[in-house]
Amino acid sequence: MSDQALRTPFAARATAALEDAHLQEALTIATNKFMALRRESFAGFPEGEALRDRARAVKEATLQRLDAYLEQLADSVERLGGHVHWAATGEEAREIILRLCRERGVRTAVKSKSMATEEIELNAALEAAGVTPVETDLGEYIIQLAGEKPSHIIAPAIHKTKGQVADLFSRELGERFPADPEVLTAAARKELRQKFLQADLGITGANFAVAETGTVVLVTNEGNGRMVTSLPRIHVAVMGIEKVIPSMTDLMLFLAILARSATGQKLSVYTTLVRGPRHPGELEGPEEFHLILMDSGRAAQIAGPLREALYCLRCGACLNVCPVYRQIGGHAYGHTYPGPIGILLTAMLKGDRSVKELAHASSLCGACHEVCPVRIDIPRMLVGLRERLYRDRIAPWGERLVFWALGRVLGSPALFRLLVRLGRLAQRPFLRDGRVRSLPFLFGRWTRSRDLPPVAARTFSECWKELGR
Amino acid sequence: MATRAEFLDRIRREARRAPALFPASPAPRPARPEEAAAALRRELAERWPEALGRFQQELERVAGVFHRVATLEAVPGLIRDLALAMGARELVTWEPGALGLDLGPALGAEGLTVTAAPAGGGEAARLAHREAAARAQIGVTGVDWALAETGTLILVSGAGRPRSTSLLPDTHVAVFGKGRLLERLEQVGIMLEALHADPARSMTGAMINFITGPSRTADIELTLTRGVHGPKDVHAVFVEAL
Repeated sequence: MSDQALRTPFAARATAALEDAHLQEALTIATNKFMALRRESFAGFPEGEALRDRARAVKEATLQRLDAYLEQLADSVERLGGHVHWAATGEEAREIILRLCRERGVRTAVKSKSMATEEIELNAALEAAGVTPVETDLGEYIIQLAGEKPSHIIAPAIHKTKGQVADLFSRELGERFPADPEVLTAAARKELRQKFLQADLGITGANFAVAETGTVVLVTNEGNGRMVTSLPRIHVAVMGIEKVIPSMTDLMLFLAILARSATGQKLSVYTTLVRGPRHPGELEGPEEFHLILMDSGRAAQIAGPLREALYCLRCGACLNVCPVYRQIGGHAYGHTYPGPIGILLTAMLKGDRSVKELAHASSLCGACHEVCPVRIDIPRMLVGLRERLYRDRIAPWGERLVFWALGRVLGSPALFRLLVRLGRLAQRPFLRDGRVRSLPFLFGRWTRSRDLPPVAARTFSECWKELGR
Repeated sequence: MATRAEFLDRIRREARRAPALFPASPAPRPARPEEAAAALRRELAERWPEALGRFQQELERVAGVFHRVATLEAVPGLIRDLALAMGARELVTWEPGALGLDLGPALGAEGLTVTAAPAGGGEAARLAHREAAARAQIGVTGVDWALAETGTLILVSGAGRPRSTSLLPDTHVAVFGKGRLLERLEQVGIMLEALHADPARSMTGAMINFITGPSRTADIELTLTRGVHGPKDVHAVFVEAL
């Protein structure tokens, strides 16, 4: 993500998003629609709940023997004539691709949507090396033309109106376009069709990789994933190591729940299974296939507190239901992965320090846990993250002081009772309409955007004591 | 750069330190996939009419078009009518052996240009065929499996079965018979396990595509639009006699 965006504090980014009336409308429409589609899809699919449990178990089982499955995957890919690269960091992954471009004289690379390549900021690196990267997913194409970043894992341009897209296309493609999604889509089809046919290199991520067969699986709706893996002479797939799964049987389990969770479809339009370069006797398909297995902070979490986040399928369901995401959208998070799972993935990739503010961008309501296709307990890990920020002294001193004090008070019934009585007196000047609406000093930051219920005239424990008499 | 050994050692070390979150195992797989697939085929030979009904329903739900004809001889006429109705001039097809049908003679007589994929060939043949596919308005393919639960056509690439036939033209027409029908995704799993258990079969095509209706996007204001990169229309032609 642009460093510029990160120079403004999270609170300011969130406020800007809240004040953007257009963004607010787009977010409401998009997240409500995705939520409804998902709900309908699972309502007509009673076996879905059991499938989610099984898919979760496959993810856990794979992590327990991750080294063996990665080894098997690499052997399978090499047996098929593909090349396997091991990238400990995002920088290494970029370097592998740039070297390949240099050695093979690549000028243009077409890309299908991939969060892994967003994560390593591949496009900027390609451009700096004289290779033109072309994003071919319509949403990604729009934001590439606009010089922006995705704001949703599966719908990268939901923050843009059709009017904005029409203006953008008119400027970039040298022709006047009306604000009609149909016309704009046709324009992108025509423009990108030429790029597909001319490009030397196709770059994809991987939704899954099947260890036993060496198959990289791409799930798309537009067909750009098929173009990118069928037309250029070289195909490079970049995947985080957690994307490996054992077998074709396991794959079916994930396919049954992935699209339902993301868009409410039973299956996405295209599920593309790629098994190495073009086989003997085949007319089409790339001559060369490269698989980049990227660690970049993932292995450290196998035994770390974010282990469960390694189950993530990147479906985006947790974004749509999150009361924070629904208000501020993806850009305000300031990193590649937004939403509740995005906070955890950012901590995984960039360290706890990078999310010292974002760790609190959750109400811990549990909606994300409820919709996650593999039932990742996101709130549990967010609480753990907050705890580490306190313990490791990453959180600001004011916050640590408050939590320290709160810990003392809640740990001592006598102190608690004393403070309740004091609070009942102290709150009087701040009460309006039965709520505490503004507090002085540091506490004012809380009441600036929220209010508090006052301490009751008689607390529950006081009532209880009377009843006991 | 990390070497494979270093990379895997790191993961092995981490995995050894990690307690399992809970006891878990991968999905149970058929012990003898080829036998399981054969048994499934026998079972489905009894139940195909229900599967076909569901297939049609699901295909139509995703904006695909279903056709049913008695024999293979009726297919060229159906495709001719489609071509004339949409004003198409050029078609590409799988190699006639792979498709089970040669459309050239029947459609050529109507003034339509039909380019069948060659069974094999080098760089020149590849480029020539790609150009033909990029020009064509209709691409005609066979089907390896038709999945009823989702209205999905599953195509395995290979010699005479190029990937582009179902991708580059605006309209994709897929021809299949009852032996191709499957009911549920997990049955696709059994078929794919069987395919990969046979080294000869699994090394004849590097790509398998699941196609569920026409290409679509909702990236602009969530307005559903068809045909962003792949075909705008998908026709599935069921041939009773196949």
